[in-house]
Amino acid sequence: MRHSFALNAESYELWLSPGQRDYRLHFGGEVIAPVALSHHFNGSGMLEIASETVSVRFAIDGDVLHLHIHGRTHILRYRDQLREFDLSEVLASHDAAQAPMPGVVVAVRVSRGDAVSPGATLMLVESMKLEFVVRAPRGGVVDRVHFEVGESFEQGAALVTFSDERR
Amino acid sequence: MQKLPFDTVLIANRGEIAVRIIKTLRKLGLRSAIIYHEVDAATLAVSMADTAIALEGSSPIAAYLDAEQIIASARRANVGALHPGYGFLSESAEFARAVASAGITFVGPTPESIELMGDKIRARRFVQQAGFPVAPAAVEEDEPETFVSRARDLGLPLLVKPSAGGGGKGMQIVRDLGTLDDAIAQARREGLRYFGDGRLYVERCAEKPRHIEVQVLGDSFGNVVHLFERECSVQRRFQKIIEETPSPALSAELRKRVCEVAVGVARNANYRNAGTVEFIFDGHEFYFLEMNTRLQVEHPVTEMVTGIDLVAEQLHVAAGHELALSQSDIVSNGHAIEVRLYAEAPEREYAPTTGKILMLEYPECEGVRIDSGIVQGQKITTAFDPMLAKIVVHSATRREAALKAAHVMRQLVLLGCETNADFLARLLMDDTFLSGQIHTGYLDENPHLAIGQCGSDLPAILAAAALLTKPVRDSADAVPKLHAELGKWRN
Repeated sequence: MRHSFALNAESYELWLSPGQRDYRLHFGGEVIAPVALSHHFNGSGMLEIASETVSVRFAIDGDVLHLHIHGRTHILRYRDQLREFDLSEVLASHDAAQAPMPGVVVAVRVSRGDAVSPGATLMLVESMKLEFVVRAPRGGVVDRVHFEVGESFEQGAALVTFSDERR
Repeated sequence: MQKLPFDTVLIANRGEIAVRIIKTLRKLGLRSAIIYHEVDAATLAVSMADTAIALEGSSPIAAYLDAEQIIASARRANVGALHPGYGFLSESAEFARAVASAGITFVGPTPESIELMGDKIRARRFVQQAGFPVAPAAVEEDEPETFVSRARDLGLPLLVKPSAGGGGKGMQIVRDLGTLDDAIAQARREGLRYFGDGRLYVERCAEKPRHIEVQVLGDSFGNVVHLFERECSVQRRFQKIIEETPSPALSAELRKRVCEVAVGVARNANYRNAGTVEFIFDGHEFYFLEMNTRLQVEHPVTEMVTGIDLVAEQLHVAAGHELALSQSDIVSNGHAIEVRLYAEAPEREYAPTTGKILMLEYPECEGVRIDSGIVQGQKITTAFDPMLAKIVVHSATRREAALKAAHVMRQLVLLGCETNADFLARLLMDDTFLSGQIHTGYLDENPHLAIGQCGSDLPAILAAAALLTKPVRDSADAVPKLHAELGKWRN
């Protein structure tokens, strides 16, 4: 069975198959073997990959995996295929301007029913005392403004959603 | 050092700077008290302080800005002095007055100095009248009806600035006169919102400007010394991310001149306390920018090269003692670089990030100082500034210091919240940075530096992720061994 991880806005498909005492990694048309992770306690382990051994530090938070390898930190998300199907349904019918970071709404420039062109200013938001403009990702008619002035939101929240009517 | 007339000092601040101040208090045999909002209850500063007093507040920031409550807490803890740190109330003349009227020593300048330097328009005029260089500017209040046309006449690029405030907040750069009106409107809006003051001025911006500042120290007897310069030209959104001393841009002669001008400015202002006089340097001339009447975030680089504890000196002069240091006692050795570890994503226009610190390990190396207020398990929210820690490295040369700092940034493990650690390591090893040819537009001109690549690490990253994810292992384990062998055959 194929599994999928998101890393730096890219999606990677891979799977493991059993080896002699360890696993083989199938990814991008290649097979990398053997792969094994040993002594992993307290978020610390040794990764064996092909003939190389690499020290790895890690922390797991639900579907999110934080890794420190070769002096660099990487954040991956395990993409649970069943759960993502539900989300994609909602996104396909609505499209939303999503919050790039957590913050507070400073001003709202559109209301329900407004027709907007791509790049139009929807909201001014503030995060860490800095002001940012939220722009329309596409043209369309505003279906809903999800936050009012003064309300705070988390990263990834839908701020403004659009209906499918386009002008 | 002479005995201080107080034995307990209240820190009206949080995070790394509170921890840093407590360390000096301990060294001097003084007791520490701290005020905190409940979101900070589990932080390092609160656990290190001898006494900790919780504040009520509608928001965490409101609590740290509540002068009345803080002074009441200081009274309750029976402290003799109050250190404001940086930010929050550190540059409020009203607060400094209220602390003094409560019979508590304010570890800072006189309220008059804060008032003079806190208003940038007034400070600029004061420095100009004292005969020191300032950048060409249009000040709105000089003649409001001609403000925009006077600003246009200065020539591009322009910088629109609110008179109040600091830290780059509200500043707008204008490279096209068509956007001047919008920039003025936004600067005014932000000035009003953050500082309750919409007064503006516009300065002509130098081409490839470098930010150079001088650390000064003054006492109540009119003595002022400098502790050399720091260069803070590597900035994003007008906020510093790498600071160093000495500046690679200055000749011995220019260094002497800029330090003397800074001492002159401070002396003219009868300045008492540690302070920083900031300048813009265009490669030939330098212009006064502003004076910060507090300890700066980047003060550790100065401490590393001079061996002087600036917080101890602040306490000494605040107590009314005469400076024990004379200019000839102050010598700079080697090179120091500080990098600011931020909870932010450089590749997404430095957007702030949030999370929970799941793992935190700082490397220990000689010549490395890490000022940090965070602990494992702590939540990183957007309630405060995104700075997590400062990594300060001291070496014989600039190149050595930069490479060592890059090494430390790679060794440091902080998991659970995206940070700029990898970006900082990349910057420290960038050829332009290493050559010293930096200026405040360096990051804007080199946007590729903000983007990290996994490169050859990708297979190792994916292998570790696969092996650590139970559903991935489970589906491999569900394949019977024999079938797996057959599978290999078929391929």
